[in-house]
Amino acid sequence: MAASIHNYWMFGLAAALIIAVLAAGCTQQPGDGQETTLKVTGSTTVLPVAQAAADAFGTDHASADIQVTGGGSSVGVQSIGEGTADIGMSSRDLKAEEKTKYPDLVVTTIANDGIGVIVHPENTVSGLTIAQVKEIYAGNTTNWKEVGGPDQVIVVVGRDSASGTREFFFETVMKKQNFTPTQLEKNSNGAVKQTVTQTPGAIGYVGLGYIDSEVRAVPIIVNGEPVMPSIENVVSKTYPISRPLIMITQGTPAGLAKEYLDFILSPAGQKIVADEGFVPITS
Amino acid sequence: MKNGRDCPGGKQPPGNHSFPPVSDETLAGSHEILSRRHRRDRLIRAVWFACAFFAVIIIFFILAFLLFDAYPVFFEIGIWDFLTGMVWNPTGSPPAYGIYPLIVDSLLVTILAMAISIPLGVGSAIYIAELAPSRVKAIVKPAVELLAGIPSVVFGFFGLIVLTDWIRVNFDVPTGETWLAGSILLGVMALPTIISVSEDAISSAPREVREGSFALGATHWQTISRVVTPAALSGITAAIILGIGRAVGETMAVLMVTGNAAVIPDPIWNVLSPVRTLTGTLGIEMGEVAIGSTHYHALFGIAVVLLGITLAINLFATVILARIKEKHMAVNACSPKKSGTGEKQWFARYMQKYKNILAGIVLGLVLLAVFGLMGLLAALLGYSAFRLIQGRISPKWTQRVAFSLIVFCILSVLFALGVILYDIIANGLPYLTWEFLTAPPSNLGRSGGIFPAIVGTMYLVAGAIAIALPIGIGAAIYLTEYTREGRATKIIRTGTDLLNGTPSIVFGLFGFAFLVIYLGFGVSLIAGQITLALMVLPTIIRTTEESLRTVPVSAREGSLALGATKWQTIRKVILPPSVPGIVTGTILSIGRAAGETAPILFTAVVFSTRFLPDSLFDPVMALPYHLYILATNVPGAKGQQYATALVLLGLVVAFYALAIWIRHRSAAACKW
Repeated sequence: MAASIHNYWMFGLAAALIIAVLAAGCTQQPGDGQETTLKVTGSTTVLPVAQAAADAFGTDHASADIQVTGGGSSVGVQSIGEGTADIGMSSRDLKAEEKTKYPDLVVTTIANDGIGVIVHPENTVSGLTIAQVKEIYAGNTTNWKEVGGPDQVIVVVGRDSASGTREFFFETVMKKQNFTPTQLEKNSNGAVKQTVTQTPGAIGYVGLGYIDSEVRAVPIIVNGEPVMPSIENVVSKTYPISRPLIMITQGTPAGLAKEYLDFILSPAGQKIVADEGFVPITS
Repeated sequence: MKNGRDCPGGKQPPGNHSFPPVSDETLAGSHEILSRRHRRDRLIRAVWFACAFFAVIIIFFILAFLLFDAYPVFFEIGIWDFLTGMVWNPTGSPPAYGIYPLIVDSLLVTILAMAISIPLGVGSAIYIAELAPSRVKAIVKPAVELLAGIPSVVFGFFGLIVLTDWIRVNFDVPTGETWLAGSILLGVMALPTIISVSEDAISSAPREVREGSFALGATHWQTISRVVTPAALSGITAAIILGIGRAVGETMAVLMVTGNAAVIPDPIWNVLSPVRTLTGTLGIEMGEVAIGSTHYHALFGIAVVLLGITLAINLFATVILARIKEKHMAVNACSPKKSGTGEKQWFARYMQKYKNILAGIVLGLVLLAVFGLMGLLAALLGYSAFRLIQGRISPKWTQRVAFSLIVFCILSVLFALGVILYDIIANGLPYLTWEFLTAPPSNLGRSGGIFPAIVGTMYLVAGAIAIALPIGIGAAIYLTEYTREGRATKIIRTGTDLLNGTPSIVFGLFGFAFLVIYLGFGVSLIAGQITLALMVLPTIIRTTEESLRTVPVSAREGSLALGATKWQTIRKVILPPSVPGIVTGTILSIGRAAGETAPILFTAVVFSTRFLPDSLFDPVMALPYHLYILATNVPGAKGQQYATALVLLGLVVAFYALAIWIRHRSAAACKW
C-alpha cells in the first residue's frame, strides 16, 4: 500500500508539472514589452522572399516578431480579408469576386516572377513551345521523343487545385483547357521540384526562385528562338510565362506592416528578391 | 436518487435512506455530516457524468458540424453526383466535384495494404505468442510496439525519399509515387495494431485446449493451425478491422507517396499507377482553398464521407469484439459441457471449409498485385502442387515449412523496422548538433536549428494532456464506478470507440472549421491543443478504465463496509493502485499527440517564427509540421530533414518506451 500512495503522489507531481509547463506557456510575460507581431500568410511562391526579408528586417528590429506561413494565394487573400493576418501574399492578382467581397484590400507589387518549366537534369530535350507544353499537360503528348527528347514516358507533375501558380499556368499556358487527370499533384513549388529531381521522366513548373542545379529549366521557344527563364528575360518581357507577386494589406499599409513592406521595396529588400531568384521591380 | 448509490453489480446494501430506523436513532448526531457527504458525492457523480457525456456528445458534434459545412455541396452538386462523379477537378472549366475515383482509390490502397500486413501481422503474432523463446519475446514484443510509435509523417518522409525511388528503379516505372508505395507504407503502419491485438487473442486461448491437443499427439503446428488459431479467430478478425480503420484514415504518409492523381488505376489492378485518397485530398487542398467556396464545402463533403466509412468500419469492429466477449463468457459458463451453440459450430465448420480457399484468394491477390499475371499462374500451380502432396507429406515437414514461413514473417517485420530506423539514424545523426537543438531556424530551415519547433510541440502536447486528462479520467471513473453495464454505458463506450477510430485529419478539419473559423481563435496554440486533446481522449478513457477494472471488487466492498463514502473509496482505495495504468495511458497519448501532423496542420502551426508564443492565441512551430514542410517544400535541406525526423522519432519513441517500461514494471509488481 505504501508503494501505491507513493505512486499517487508521483502522479500528482506529474500532473502539477504538466500544468506548470502549460502555465509557463500561457503567462510568459509579454516580457520586453515592445514586441510586436506581424502575421504574413499566403502563397508558397512569395514565401521565401517574405521569410528572408523577415530575417533581415528582424536584425534591425529586434522586437518585431514576423510570422510567415504558407498555405497558398487563396489563403493569403482570405486571411487578409477576414483579418486573421496582417499581410497576405499572393502569386496572382485579386479575382473580381475577391475585390467585391473585400473592397478595402490594397495591393503592393513586390516582385515579378517567371514560371520555369523544369525537367530532370539528365533529360536532353532542347526546348519546348508553349503549345507543346500545353499538349504535354493536357495528356496528348506522352513520350519525350515526340518533342525531341529521349524515348521516355512523360510524368506530368503539377500543383494542387488551390494553388495560384496552377491557376496562372492554367490561364496562360493551358488557355483554360483541363489538365490530364493522371498528373501528379503537389502542394508546393518545393514538392514539385523534389519529385522532378527524383524522377527522370518528369516535367514540372515552378517559380524562378526554385530553379537550381538539381533540375533543368527548359527553354521556351518563342518565334523559333529559345528563351531561358531568367531574370533578364522576364525584365525584358521576352520570356512568355511571367506574373507579378503581390502583398495585400487591409487599407493602406501602416505601422509595422508599412515598415516591413517599405523594407522589401528598398534596395536592400529588392536585393533579397533577386537573391531568392525573383525579378526586382525597380531594376 | 437511489441509483446514485448503486455500486457495480448492485451488491452494495441500499443507502441509509432505506432503513431510517437504524440511521435516525444511532446516527442522529452525524446525520448532517452524512447528508453533506451525500450531497458532495452526488455533485462529484454529476461531474464525472458530465465528463463521460462529453466524450459521446463530441463525436456527434463533430459529425454535425462537418455536415453543416458540407451541406451546400450536397445541395449544389447533389449527393448522388458528388459520390459517383468520375472527375475531381475543382478548378477546371467547368469545375468537377466527383469523388468516386477518390473513394475507389482509398479502398484500393487499403485492400492492398491489408493484403501485405494481414499475413505478416498474423504470422508475427503467432510467432510471438507461440514460438518465440521468452528471451526473444522480451525483445521482439516491445520492438513491435515501438513500431506503433513512429509518427506517420516520418513514415511518409521515409517513403518519399527512399521507397518511391526504390519502386521507380526496381519496377522500371516513370514514377515511384504509386498505389504500391502507399500500400506498402500503410501495411507497415497497420502492422503493430494487427500484431498486438492478434497476439493478445492467440495468447488468451485457454491452456487446457492446447494441452488437450498435445495430449492427442498433435504436432505443435497442428495445434496452432487447428486449435489455437481457430479459437482466436474472432480476435484476429477484430485486429484486422482495427488495422483497416487505421489504414483508411491515415493521411500524411499516403499524401506524401501516392502522387495524388485523381484517377482510377487502369487496369484496375495496376498497382504502379498513381492514386489519390480521400484523406490525401483533404491534406493537400484544405490549406489552400478559399473559405466559403464550393470547393471548400466539397472538401467537407469528403470529410463526411471519410468519417462515414471509418464509423462503419469501427461499428463493425465493436460488434465483433462484443461477440467475442459473449463467446468468452459462454465458454466460461459452460466449459464443462460439451460445446457452444449450433450456430457457432456451423460457423466454425464453415470457416474450416473455406479457410484454404480464402487464404488462396488473398495470396493470389497479393501475388497478382506484385508480380502481375505470371505471379498468379505460379501461385495457382504452387497451390495445386500443395494440394497434391498435402495428404502425403508428413506433419513434421508441414510444421517445418509453416514455421519457416512464420519466422519469415517476423523477420520481414523486424527488417522493415530496422531499415526505417537505420536510414533515419544514419542520415540524421551527423547533423544532430547542440546548435541544431537550441537555435531557431534560418534560411527556410536549411540552416539554424529547430528549437522553437521542439518547444512548440511541448506546449501543444502539455495543453492537450491538461485538457484531456481530467475529462478522460472522469469519464472512466463514471463508466467503471458509477454505472451498471446497460444501455447508457454501451452508448458511451460506442461513442468513445468511434472517437478513437476517427481519422486524425477529420479532427484537423473540425478544429479548423469550429475553433479557428467559427469561434474565431485563428491559427493558434489553443486551437491545436483542443484538437489534439479530442484526439487522445479515447486513449486516456480506455486505459484508465482498464486499470480501474483491475482493482478487485473486494477492495471496494471493504472500503464501503468501513463506512467510507463512494468518493472516499474512489480516491483512497481505487485510484492509487490504478496510477501506473493511467500514467501509461497518458504517456501513450503524449507520444501520439507529439507525432501527429494532420490535426495541427490547419489549426496551430506556422512555418517559422523567431519567438516562442506569448499567449494561447499565438501560433507555434511544431516538429512534425516542420518535417513535413522541410520534406515537401524546401529543396536542399536533406540533412535538416533527417535530423528533424530523428529528433521527432527519438522523442516519440522515448515516450512509448517509457510507457512500455512502466506497464512492464507495474504488471510485475502489482498482483492482486
